[in-house]
This record gives sequence, C-alpha cells and structure tokens, in this order.
Amino acid sequence: MSLWRKIFTMFRARATEAGEAVVDANALRILDQEIRDASEALRKSRDDLTTMMAQRKLSFNKVQPKQNKIAEYSGFIEQLLDRGDEALAREVAQKLADLERETEADVALLGQYDSNIDVLKKSILQAEGTISRLKQQVDSVKATENVQRAQAALASQHSGTNTALRTATDSLERIKQKQLERAAKFDAAKELEHFGGDQDLQAKLANAGLLEDHSSADSVLARFKSRASLSAPAAPLRLDKPSSDKS
Amino acid sequence: MAVQWTTVALYEALIASELNLEGKIELNDGLEPNISVQLAEFGDLPVQITVSGAQLMVSSALWEASQVKDLAHFNELALKLNPVNALSNIGLITLTPGRDLYIMFGELSASSELPHIIEEIRVLADNTIEAADVFSDQLIASPANSTGAAK
Repeated sequence: MSLWRKIFTMFRARATEAGEAVVDANALRILDQEIRDASEALRKSRDDLTTMMAQRKLSFNKVQPKQNKIAEYSGFIEQLLDRGDEALAREVAQKLADLERETEADVALLGQYDSNIDVLKKSILQAEGTISRLKQQVDSVKATENVQRAQAALASQHSGTNTALRTATDSLERIKQKQLERAAKFDAAKELEHFGGDQDLQAKLANAGLLEDHSSADSVLARFKSRASLSAPAAPLRLDKPSSDKS
Repeated sequence: MAVQWTTVALYEALIASELNLEGKIELNDGLEPNISVQLAEFGDLPVQITVSGAQLMVSSALWEASQVKDLAHFNELALKLNPVNALSNIGLITLTPGRDLYIMFGELSASSELPHIIEEIRVLADNTIEAADVFSDQLIASPANSTGAAK
C-alpha cells in the first residue's frame, strides 16, 4: 500500500509539472529502493535464522547427554533402593532432581527456538514474495514505459499532420468498410446467380414457344416489315435502364 | 522449465509462426525493442508487444483523450467495463505533455508459450475493435479520422 501511495504521489507531482512521461525514472527509483529494503530485510532474516538454528542445535546437543544421565541415574537409584542403600540413593536422587530441572528448562528453550525459527521462516517467505512482487512491478513499469515510447514514436510520425495516430477507430472503420465490400460482392454474386437462373428460365420459356424470340431472323425481318408498312420509325431501342438509381 | 522470452527471440518466433501469414510483423529495434503486429482480420490494428524482464505486455492504441466527448463519463464506462472484460484492460498513457492516449492492454508471463502469446494478441486486437465499436458514440467524430465511407 505504501508503495502505491508513493507512486501515486509521484504521478500527481508529475502531472502538475506537466513534465515528461507519466512513468519515468522516479517510479523505478522508488521500486528500486523498495526492493533493496526488502532484500536487506531478507538478508537479515536469513542471518537470524542461521544463528537461531545454530543455537538450537547447541541446546539440543546439551539436552541429549543430560537425558542419558537421567536414565543412568534412574537405574542407579533403583539398584541402590533394591540393595537398601537409601542414603546413596537419596544423594543420586538429589542429582537427578537437578538434572531434571535443567532438562526441563532446556526443553522449554528448545521450544522457544523452534517457534522463533518458524516465525523467521515465515518472514523469509514473505520477504521473498514481496521482492518478487516488486520485481514484477518494475517489469510492469518498464513495459508501460516501453509501450509509451512505442506509441509516442508512432504518434510523432503523425505529428506534422493533423491526423490522429492510427487507432482502434480507424481499424474498426476499415473492418466495417471491408465488411461492406464483402457484403456488396456477395450481393453482386447473388444477383448474378439470380440473373443466370432467370436466363435459364427465359430459355426454357422460349423453347416452349411461350416467348417471342427477339433475336431470331424472323422476328428481325418482321420488325423491318412492320416499320416499312407504318412508315414511321419504330420505337428506338431503349438504352437506358429503367429508372436506374443515382449512384 | 519454460524459457523466458526476449523481445527479439519472440519476434523471430512470431515471424516463423502462422501469424506471419495473416498480417505484418515488425521489430522496432532499439534500446528497448518492441514488436508491432498488424493483422488484416482486425483492420490492420497495430498491436505492440514488449518483453520486460518476467513480463510480457501486449497493447494497442484505442484513441487519444482529446477524441473523447466527455472524459469523466468515458472513464467511468471504461472502469465499469474492465472487470467484465477479464482478459484486457483499458489504460491511459501520456504520449507527450498534454497528449494522453487510451490503450487496451494485457499482460502475460514472459515464460508463456507461443500459442498463448498469439492467442493473447488476437484476443487483444478483437477486444480493441469491440471497444471501438461500443464506445464509438463516446468519441468526437474527427474529420481526420473518417475514411469518408458511405453508409
């Protein structure tokens, strides 16, 4: 959180300066410091852990011989009591009591070491996590910086003209344009197909004798004859398509 | 296990991939190189790819802030869209002082496999075009931008 605040504060400062790019060396410097702090903490935790583990081992090494002694003395006491040497047994028992007290303290200490070691291991894991997160953040900042630079380079290619740099809107426009073209082509193809089908039908109808065949020699002759007989010009061939759309 | 890409290595892999048949892939070399991919399917929208350390960023330009009619309103819409549109985010970067650019971006691990990266490029381009469509009424119709296409 504190890191976010730092970077944010920096953004605001930058914004008022209206200075360079938003993400700049400052963000990296802050992150760099954070990483160094976390690394330092990590190194310290690791040192502490090593020391703690060494101390635990020393304590543990002391406990073992004491426990052996306890077993040995217990054996002696039993034997002495069996022999009825109560006085010596008491002397040994005194020693045993001291030993047991010491061992108890040692074991308690070992427990403390163990829990401290646990805590240290956890904080080491945490520090490692923090460091890798921070490094990730550095990568993000660098990547953003890189994107910024790339886009700025693109933009500067357009800076002379009033043209906005090529962005999503232009590409969308292109796609729409392409789709329109494709749709138009599709329509045209369909129309052709339809026209073809129509021709087929016309041919069939002509074959069936249901259509006047305008292109046959007979029909041409007939046209000339009728023109001559009427001595009036026949209706000229219509060249314009019926009510064509304005393009 | 997985190898971490560098921008140049990724460029070479993209050039050798099927993506190369679908558009233009360019390497803008420099201190921090970046890759630009323009796919015909997405109206030649330039998509930038950069690798920084463990992170791979794919981004494309939406439009400049100056093209937005009502910035506050648009920002709100964009923020609302972000959680819904899980794979890509909308962000704002400053090109030059006073010239801000909205971008669509997505981030991947730099150890991602090539098919995932190619998928991300396509998804990002698609999302960008979708955004351009959805947000078109939020933008000032700029004469410089129009292709003069009839309806």
